[in-house]
Amino acid sequence: MELALPEVDDGKCEGCGDCVRLCPGHAVALIAGKAVIVLPENCDYCADCEAFCPSSAIRCPFEIVMGDGAGEDS
Amino acid sequence: MPAQTDFLRPLPYFSALSDADMQRVERVALERSFERGEILFLEGEPCAGLYALKSGLVRVFKSSPEGREQVLLVARPGDTFNDIPVFDGGPNPASAAALELSTVVIIPRDAILSLVDACPPAAAIVRLFAARLRRMTTLISDLSFRSVLSRLAKVLLEAAAADGGTPAQRLTQEEMAAMVGTVRDVIGRALRLLEREGAIKMQRQKIVVVNAKKLRDMV
Repeated sequence: MELALPEVDDGKCEGCGDCVRLCPGHAVALIAGKAVIVLPENCDYCADCEAFCPSSAIRCPFEIVMGDGAGEDS
Repeated sequence: MPAQTDFLRPLPYFSALSDADMQRVERVALERSFERGEILFLEGEPCAGLYALKSGLVRVFKSSPEGREQVLLVARPGDTFNDIPVFDGGPNPASAAALELSTVVIIPRDAILSLVDACPPAAAIVRLFAARLRRMTTLISDLSFRSVLSRLAKVLLEAAAADGGTPAQRLTQEEMAAMVGTVRDVIGRALRLLEREGAIKMQRQKIVVVNAKKLRDMV
């Protein structure tokens, strides 16, 4: 299965580099002035990039699902 | 009753009615008085109709299971209330009690609906607005009565329940914060707490509800 990664909206990214500096896994770099997850294996989807991005260009959505056996009476 | 004509006619609900329609409404309207503290109707009960306050003062409010109250409206003479169930057909979304000796005119639901029956598009729009207003009313009580954890538990349960057959809901922590009425940092802490409690499991890009009962108990 493909590794889920933060979603970068190039239209909104202003290339400030905050995400590059703040990513604890150093997974982000600026390429042509836009944030890119260059080391996907270093990204643990902590969502810090989303939290710190001043232009709301990065989203880390979570799928919300009912687990097997989450059950009515579990 | 002529007194009702004088009273109802200028109200926004009825000012544009033809004389014939106005008479139809008046024929079925009931006048009732309530002592101070007396309950006019209760949240969750079937709707008796639209209420128009003729004299006195009435409190329209939501109650929490613990007995706390959130006042939605203090109705004064000329105010109408309980419109939502009239148009969406659901139960009363709130309760009402007299703050002093009050007289109301109750117009049965069917009589109000018959005024928009002739124009189905308008009836559909009003029904939609009423349903939206009901959701807003629920949101007000959620924000008033529930803690952040409880509101987040509700959001997660609803999102996970919507999972059957449709694509799973995808929400960022920012979006969850907006739905719950708080800030992102608080959501991060609340999610970690729910995980420690064994209600959810945080996976990469996924929040799995592993114990729905625990979440429901928090709601």
